[in-house]
Amino acid sequence: MSFMTNLVDTVIILVILTNFMLLGSSRLRRCIRVTALQGILLGILAILMEDGTPTIHLILLSAAIICLKGIIFPFLLIRTLRDLNVQYEVEPFVGYGTSLVLSPLVLVVCIWLGSQLSLPMGVTSSLVAPVAFFTITCGLFLIVSRKKALTQVLGYLVLENGIYVFGASIATIQPVLVELGILLDAFVAVFVMGIAIYHINREFEHTDVDRLNRLKG
Amino acid sequence: MNPGILLWIILLLPVVGSGICQILRSPKNVMNFVCFVMALIGILEVVTAGVVFSRNTIFSCGEWFYMDALSAYHLIVMALVFCMSSLYGMRYFDKEIHEGIFTLKLAKRYGTLWFASLAAMTLILVSNNLGMMWVGMETTTLVTAFLICTRASKASIEGMWKYLIVCSVGIAFAFMGTLFIAAATYKFQGSISGNGVFWTQLQMHAGLLDPKLAQIGFLFIFVGYGTKAGLSPMHTWLPDAHSQAPSPVSAVFSGFMLNAALYCIMRYTSLIKLVPGNENLSRDLFLIFGTFSIVVAAAFILLQHDLKRLLAYHSVEHLGIIAIGMGMGSLGIFAALFHTLNHSICKSLGFFCAGRLGQIYGSYDMRGMTGALRLSPLWGGGLLGSLLALIGIAPFALFMSELLIVKAAIATNVIWVLVVFLLGSCIIFAAALKHVISVVYGTPPVLDFKPRRSSIVDTGIVVFSLGVLLVLGLWMPKSLHEILCRAANIIEGIDVATIVCVK
Repeated sequence: MSFMTNLVDTVIILVILTNFMLLGSSRLRRCIRVTALQGILLGILAILMEDGTPTIHLILLSAAIICLKGIIFPFLLIRTLRDLNVQYEVEPFVGYGTSLVLSPLVLVVCIWLGSQLSLPMGVTSSLVAPVAFFTITCGLFLIVSRKKALTQVLGYLVLENGIYVFGASIATIQPVLVELGILLDAFVAVFVMGIAIYHINREFEHTDVDRLNRLKG
Repeated sequence: MNPGILLWIILLLPVVGSGICQILRSPKNVMNFVCFVMALIGILEVVTAGVVFSRNTIFSCGEWFYMDALSAYHLIVMALVFCMSSLYGMRYFDKEIHEGIFTLKLAKRYGTLWFASLAAMTLILVSNNLGMMWVGMETTTLVTAFLICTRASKASIEGMWKYLIVCSVGIAFAFMGTLFIAAATYKFQGSISGNGVFWTQLQMHAGLLDPKLAQIGFLFIFVGYGTKAGLSPMHTWLPDAHSQAPSPVSAVFSGFMLNAALYCIMRYTSLIKLVPGNENLSRDLFLIFGTFSIVVAAAFILLQHDLKRLLAYHSVEHLGIIAIGMGMGSLGIFAALFHTLNHSICKSLGFFCAGRLGQIYGSYDMRGMTGALRLSPLWGGGLLGSLLALIGIAPFALFMSELLIVKAAIATNVIWVLVVFLLGSCIIFAAALKHVISVVYGTPPVLDFKPRRSSIVDTGIVVFSLGVLLVLGLWMPKSLHEILCRAANIIEGIDVATIVCVK
């Protein structure tokens, strides 16, 4: 039991580290690889959640996660990257240094939030809820603060990963519901398709906000 | 006959129709097919709703499919909006088909996606399992995204992309909320089945849900589905998507998709009200987001130049009004549900007229659109009628439902909401009136072609919608009153009928 807890904790801490790496990196290729690593860690996490031998549900879930997030999406994304010929995220709305300095503060808030919750059943580590929140926040942050459409897709993947961290903790009692979450990946598939077909490179400006700005003063 | 079979039929028939669209031979055929099959499905949906009203509830497929008065009422609204939009769509693409822009390939894709989105929205309404309901909403988002760029242009791709990015995050949040609600069931795990979270089972045991987890879950649900419902500040996708989509699609977006998302929140509202310590949570959220939506909509309507965007911001406003109604309990919920129907009919009509006028003028910029009434009496008149109804002119039904919400606000003593609501409505009233007068009256520009004549079907749609709005404003049938009461009872959990006396 304590060995399992240690293992779960290790995986979860690795997830935190991948988040930091994503926030601090401007090279898109590396970001994709780190996201892939995070996906594989999640797959491992799903199996570790059950004490004793994992059920067939959990093994399938974990295999699906590793295939999709660890292999298929990174492959597609890297191919798109090559086609579009972009390598760096330029001039993000929030700089890399600032992102990195802010993120531990966010982590502290998330740990406090997680400690407020009493998660029942089968959760083998008290870090599950905080890290879920932290990963979701990182994903959201990447979506709103970066300009390349591709980084936004990565942000969405990270957001989804955060949801899976939480989902894995209740996968033992609600396996069907957690499996439905795989459908979220349909969005990622559509995003990648959209970028590839329509060559969407950067995010779009919102015309209305512009209009409101012009009426200042 | 087992009534449960009806749920299967209304769910599977659109799927079949979606497939058949792929083997049709001309764009015209596809549009006619969509229209006729939709009429058939519409009739079946109304029959299903009727059976639900007479039996109270229908179950099917074990506990997975379920309908009660609340979902049946929404089913009727959906049938109405989809039938009207399909009928309108039959003629809407005529010009493009004639010019060869709307090719067979596009038409097939349009028909397939049209029925697929109908099937997905039906799934939302018939699911008892909250996970399946989420799947329905997720599928709706994916399918309708491609309807936005039926005709691919730079602007429509932008609209689609924003819609996908913003709504995908919303849907992800809704899933997180569903997980939290599932986690909150641990105290009565033994007494429910492990196959997911069934609404009927949760409602029976709602008092035992873990308060903290349920609270966070509901927050996620509200923000998540609220994004899809276009509540401000999560509404940013809405004006872009609505203005770029072809008009029949915009009508379905505004007329039913937003309501479907709100319907999901309603289901959770009925649960969260029973959880100890969270009795007021849904009320506060509805009131805050509702008033904020009205304020934001008022600001943008004031500065709007694009006719379809104007209508889109009206949707934000009216969803806000429905939300504050939901936050006011019994009478408010009754009024909110009534407003749902009125708004759906009225806004669909608005988009129909805007679409055809846009085709005549070649753009939706209201600064260039003048004299619509002389150029096309039917669509100009329809636009005038629908906008007057939208801003709450007296004999129309929207005025009645808004009046009921004002009554509810006074009864529940939420004066700040009432003040914001009335102020916002006044600004919108003046701004929208200014816009519509400049579009409808004045001298029309000289056109180098003769606008095509409106057919009997077009006239029928306009007269029917305005007629229904007028009749409902003056007189509410007893049966509708009872249906609304029963639907409101499901959300409120107490007998609303004793509190509501309209006349």
